[in-house]
Amino acid sequence: MTRSDAALKSRGGAVYGLDLETDGMLFGALVPAPVASGVLRSVDLTAARRAPGVVVAVGPDELAALLPNGGNAERPVFPKSRILYRHQPVAAVAATSLAEARAAARLVRVDVTNEPAFIDIEDRYPEWPSKLASNDPHVVAHVVARHGDLAAAFRTADLVHSETYRTSGIAHVALEPHACLAVVADGTWKVTTSTQTPFGVREDAAEILGIPQESLVVEGTWVGGGFGSKGAAFLEPYALLLAAASGRPVRLAFGYREEFLTGRSTLPSVIRLDTSVKNGTITGRRVRLLLDSGASLPGRDFATGYSIGFLLGPYKIPAFEMEGYAIRTNKPPFGPHRAPFAPQCVFAIDSHMDGLSRRLGVDPVEFRLRHVWREGDRTALYQPVGPFGAAAGLERAHAKVAEWRRNLPAGTGIGVGIGFWSTSTGAGGEVRLHLTANELVIEQAEHEIGSGSVVRGLVAVAERYFGLPTDRIRVVSTSTATAPFDSGVFGSRTVAALGRAVEAAGAKLLETLGARASMVGTPRLDVDGRRLVLVSGRTKTPVAELLKPKEREGGLVTEGRHYGRSGAIDATRAVEGTFYPYTDFTASVHVAAVSVDRETGSVKVLRYAAFQDIGTVLDAGMFRGQVEGGVAMGLGTALTEETLWGPDGRLGNPGLLDYRIPTIAEMPPVEVVAIEGFLGAGPFGAKGLGEPPIIPVPAAVANAVADATGARVVELPLTPERVARALKLL
Amino acid sequence: MPFTLEQPKTVREALQRLADPTGGPSVPIAGGTDLLLDLDEGRVASTRVVSLRRLPWNTMRWESDRLVVGSTLPLARLGTDPAVRRRLPGLVDAVDAVGSLALRHRATLGGNLGRAAPASDVVPVLLALGATVRLVALSGHRDVPVGQFVRASRQTDLAPGELIESISVPAAPVSSYVWQRVRPANDVSQVGVAVARSDSPSGWHVALGGVLPAPMRVVEAEAMLTQPNPSEAEVEVAAQAAARRASFVTDKRATESYRRRLVSTLVRRAIARALRDEASR
Amino acid sequence: MTGKLSLVVNGAKGRSISVPDDERLLDTLRWRLGLKGTKEGCRTGDCGACTVLVDGETTLSCLTLSHEVDGAKVTTIEGIAEDPEGRRVQAAFEAEEALQCGYCTPGFIVALTGVRRELGSEATSAALVDGLQGNLCRCTGYLAILRAVDRVRDGPP
Repeated sequence: MTRSDAALKSRGGAVYGLDLETDGMLFGALVPAPVASGVLRSVDLTAARRAPGVVVAVGPDELAALLPNGGNAERPVFPKSRILYRHQPVAAVAATSLAEARAAARLVRVDVTNEPAFIDIEDRYPEWPSKLASNDPHVVAHVVARHGDLAAAFRTADLVHSETYRTSGIAHVALEPHACLAVVADGTWKVTTSTQTPFGVREDAAEILGIPQESLVVEGTWVGGGFGSKGAAFLEPYALLLAAASGRPVRLAFGYREEFLTGRSTLPSVIRLDTSVKNGTITGRRVRLLLDSGASLPGRDFATGYSIGFLLGPYKIPAFEMEGYAIRTNKPPFGPHRAPFAPQCVFAIDSHMDGLSRRLGVDPVEFRLRHVWREGDRTALYQPVGPFGAAAGLERAHAKVAEWRRNLPAGTGIGVGIGFWSTSTGAGGEVRLHLTANELVIEQAEHEIGSGSVVRGLVAVAERYFGLPTDRIRVVSTSTATAPFDSGVFGSRTVAALGRAVEAAGAKLLETLGARASMVGTPRLDVDGRRLVLVSGRTKTPVAELLKPKEREGGLVTEGRHYGRSGAIDATRAVEGTFYPYTDFTASVHVAAVSVDRETGSVKVLRYAAFQDIGTVLDAGMFRGQVEGGVAMGLGTALTEETLWGPDGRLGNPGLLDYRIPTIAEMPPVEVVAIEGFLGAGPFGAKGLGEPPIIPVPAAVANAVADATGARVVELPLTPERVARALKLL
Repeated sequence: MPFTLEQPKTVREALQRLADPTGGPSVPIAGGTDLLLDLDEGRVASTRVVSLRRLPWNTMRWESDRLVVGSTLPLARLGTDPAVRRRLPGLVDAVDAVGSLALRHRATLGGNLGRAAPASDVVPVLLALGATVRLVALSGHRDVPVGQFVRASRQTDLAPGELIESISVPAAPVSSYVWQRVRPANDVSQVGVAVARSDSPSGWHVALGGVLPAPMRVVEAEAMLTQPNPSEAEVEVAAQAAARRASFVTDKRATESYRRRLVSTLVRRAIARALRDEASR
Repeated sequence: MTGKLSLVVNGAKGRSISVPDDERLLDTLRWRLGLKGTKEGCRTGDCGACTVLVDGETTLSCLTLSHEVDGAKVTTIEGIAEDPEGRRVQAAFEAEEALQCGYCTPGFIVALTGVRRELGSEATSAALVDGLQGNLCRCTGYLAILRAVDRVRDGPP
């Protein structure tokens, strides 16, 4: 079935955040901090205010007059004294044109001390992992978990395999930069914005501005790619502030350079793994993670406790110790990015598993099959593993490897990677259904970000649930003023969690209609000519006849909610810090075939296969699109993408020429295979799909390079120069 | 910085406008694919931009064995011309390496040369081919070999009040350009190597891009290539000589040592490509 | 400085409009002519989201000064379907679901239309792909777009 937004988008009719425009609108521009670390002495807006076209300029000193209680003291709109990263916004201006706003922003005089920046986590902690105190002021999060007798495991091992892995920062590169339009009038604050989470922006922006959530309305637009970058308030508080100060609508948008310089992305890490083996079986593992958190505030690191678990699973490890540090540096705060930090962890763990199995002389897929979780196993933190397609995927991957060994030229490297993921079905949401004589409307807060989870996924759930054809179901996205609450489009949860809310609202709808028609048992909906009918047994009643007079216009309305369970972890194993429980286990098993240029280090991906544990495929096109897109993004992480931070906190490659995402010319053919039947928590057993397909790509590619050359690259991305070094060419 | 745009229709008018300081510093623009970014970022501080697009320089013609390319001819026109493909395969290799097709519809040979970007894919091949640049000023013309025209990164022999009128390139059916990049498509080359075989005087020309202070010929390597079909050993010696001779820089795209390592490989590949191309005809 | 210019956009000769000397065609189309189907991405010529046809040639409107194309014929996504080739390309993108967030889609459709016109009906897939490598997509992984390319090439004229 073709997605309902295809025609609109292919004709250029979709209005994104960057396209917003209204009468009397001003253009905003932010004033960036000129240093990565320092103390703000003053922000002088005088020259900017006198510049042509400028209507308003605001800085730290203006907050008190514009916001109730001066805004949030803990999370101020502009920093009061300490600058945490270069390009941190310290003031903002609004003018009648974008050029004037930008010119005026350059006239703001920012007086700030310039202190040495802390940029490279390894510069600071060369002795890591042996010497790093958890009370170091730069440690914003410290997590420790352990179980079993690791010392004994290491002492009695046949061998201990040890390796250190490094990963680089990566950027989202959603093609549409952040953009929003704010209006403040009569005590109501409203922002229209390109966002993955309208309710999340409402909560976050209201908190930053220090205003009640009820006084803020957030309305979404079509989103030109999110990947986690548009998941919390970002430009919205600044735009609202400028609108409040000027009394006029204000459009605030980033240029692409600002997108790179100020964006909240994945930052570098160092991962140390030591694994003990006895009689061909893993007996213990020590995991150490040093993660660059950028300017994350204490308590706001989310990545460490979540992602560190990926360094143990999806494998059975009897004894372990894991310790993770989130380190504050003078870079923009670490932000969520499609399966946050999981591709990096899986690169480390599955490179490690591959290297270990080769050292043992065991087939790498066999070795993983020996250890991989199956339903009923327990995770490191003693969560029960539910239906999980990893072993089934590995069996398929095994066959694919054998096929390619037969068919592809000698010298081709073939590698396997396994990712696992936990769909965030614990994040709740609600929908409102409107049933009229001729159609079913699903009203909810989310706007389509591209995956199809809103425009197609929710419709597919309703199709199956009611037995209605696609053309009788419509999704509408309304603002936070009218739509029922939803957590947002993130965590691969939209179809899995919000789809369940569609079912819940549907059950109420059928129950109400059945009662009105005095039907016995659960009726269903069907189409009879132009009309919708309610069917039970042989009885058919037109829906029109079951609607009350006041329902003729807006239809019969029911609401449904789904607040899923979050898992629980064994607190005796989690010694320190916050670990996030997994809720719904999804496996992605990928196979990559590569050729490596032995003289330059260039890697070419020749073939690719993805076996995706999905529970139930609700829409074949959407399934394929998510896997193919995830593989492409993962290939960028694997081979070419990295943010290059200078010692002064300057980003060396803030543009698409030197931050290299894959182009159409590099894509290999990708075989996409669904592993169905290991049912998840979503509707009809569906599992979340937005994130899983990116996770194992760097591992599969790195293992393929090792297979081709015998040389293991332990740092992402595998640029030609890094591969050349591993090949000892220089 | 905002700027004004002037669009003269004759060469004389263009030269006069560039010579006239009224209204602030001026800069000529051809395709603009590189200059506009510098203007946007304030790296070029001109307040007057003089467009060359209406001048009669959007041309290319053969003058016996030389291709004369007007300085504002879009690169895409070179890449698709059958005679150019046959007689100057190395030039086509280089032109095809520049950006995307849409970019090549605007980017020009004159602009690429005049901007003298250190990582230019086009300059090395013009060096290897022995191209000359025809410059025009109100006082008349002069012809300068490309090797003298490009002096250093972003520095040329272009005098104030001068413009590039055309580039004259001798045919070299045995020529090629090869490069190394992090991402094959649409990236900046870390190192590029151009080679061309000439019949009179007979011998090979070898030129490198991505080196300091600017793309350069390496005569030390050329001296090792005495045969029209050099032996593997000769090629290897030449490749090593090229790697030894050049100076490299460590920057965000590659380290000095990786660039040096690439040169010898790419010299071998460029010669092999040029000869393979000849053999297939 | 601001001067007058006039463009023939999507077949209609527009009135003369005042445009600053340094304005890019992208901004003239989007903000003065209200044609927001042409998307603003990187503004450095590296993403292709702003691709339009100028006198039939694929052109990065972010790197084009509006005054330099005064009088030219400009085709944007809003007018691409008036060209039968453009309509076929558009239909192929819809049928293959060769789009997700849709932000790169107008640029891709315009670019493929222009590249097919430029290379002619004999164009190989490799040549077409080469003509599209300046158009970035972050969602689809390009494979659905490649299926759309094949559908246009192999489908009925």
